Amino acid sequence: MNYQWDFGIIWSSMPVFGRGIVVTIELTLICLVLGLILGMLLSLAQMSRVRALQVAGRSFVEFFRNIPALIQLIWFFYAFPILIGAQLSPFTAAVLGITLNTGAYCAEIYRSGIQSIARGQWEGARAIGMSDKAIFRRIILPQVFDRMLPAFTNRAVEVAKITSLASVLSVHDLMYQGRLLSATYYRPLEILTAVGILYLCIIYPLSFASMMAERHLARKR
Amino acid sequence: MAYEWDFGVVLAQWPLFLKGLGGTLLIAAISIGLGVILGAIIATGRMSRLAWLRIPAGIYVDFYRNTPGIVHFFWFYYALPIVADIRMGPLEAAVLALTTQSASFYCEVFRGAILSLPKGQWEGGAAIGMTRFQTLRRVILPQAALRMVGPFIERTFELIKTTSLASTLAYGELLYSATQISAQTYRPMEVYTVVALIYFCLLFTFSLLARRVERRLTHV
Repeated sequence: MNYQWDFGIIWSSMPVFGRGIVVTIELTLICLVLGLILGMLLSLAQMSRVRALQVAGRSFVEFFRNIPALIQLIWFFYAFPILIGAQLSPFTAAVLGITLNTGAYCAEIYRSGIQSIARGQWEGARAIGMSDKAIFRRIILPQVFDRMLPAFTNRAVEVAKITSLASVLSVHDLMYQGRLLSATYYRPLEILTAVGILYLCIIYPLSFASMMAERHLARKR
Repeated sequence: MAYEWDFGVVLAQWPLFLKGLGGTLLIAAISIGLGVILGAIIATGRMSRLAWLRIPAGIYVDFYRNTPGIVHFFWFYYALPIVADIRMGPLEAAVLALTTQSASFYCEVFRGAILSLPKGQWEGGAAIGMTRFQTLRRVILPQAALRMVGPFIERTFELIKTTSLASTLAYGELLYSATQISAQTYRPMEVYTVVALIYFCLLFTFSLLARRVERRLTHV
């Protein structure tokens, strides 16, 4: 092997990588926040007493969990605009696809968290005359928040990874910049390795937070 | 909306869809098989008493868990041939990426199940004079195997979904077939809807079957 490594290319590409990293982080944050809100609504729908809402919530979750995320992104970019008759920017299509996907997974986290609280707590609170809404807010939510934290930080890791698929729609994220740079300079080895390491630097702190959350929970029990 | 739906044109391309489905199932099957073997080896390394085995195995798993799959696909396809001086086809690159990635997840499935057993099981084995290996084979693994079933199915489900990334290397799986059909028919709406439904049916059937197998195995 006498391949001439050229790591200088990585340093001179840093500004471009930097722009990609900003887009990756933006996409992750937007989709995570919107996904958390959507997931909450979906899980409430699934636990509602109205049958139609239950079915709708359940089907949404099953649908988004049983189709690869890449297909969802491509569908929202190439197919959805035809349905609504308006072109979406790659970024919007990516936000839409990733948010709905994240929402479906978050719904499952909320649902299993809320269902993990013993029924007796609802019954007890009702017995002292609290309304369902008050029970949910004052008794159930504070307890499930802790239990759900590791699952949510894990989801954040997944969301950060999924955002890399947006590069396929040519959203200018880290992966996209890496592909572009490696094609431009013809240095795929250095550049793609650097992309991998940069992703590791972005995602590892999230994993670490997840580990900490799990430990915190284990100690509490 | 005055859009005229036309699934006929798209469905007429069914041989291409079928070919894509074959491609998807092929890389999924190879990667599951190889991933399980590699995963078992790495799990052994991670639980070894030797630091020089344990630490690299830990780094391997952490690396794969904290980087997106698409990076691995591109790395194996474009970068590895440069280091290793070999020719790499889309199929080989996709299988390598999927295998190494799923190995890290399978490793955690195996390790998690083994670690979930109480320490007393190991001590009991040692007390009646079994070696560590004998205890593992006769006492630990038979119990741990049952606990692996659920997480194993979940990881395999994720692996099948990840196969769609192979389309970015122009490997002929379902999504790649879909892009080809879409280019030929100018019907992205119908094509991508059909391909989403094919995936849905495939994965939904898989999870139903898997749930049944899991129930069978774990409720004896």
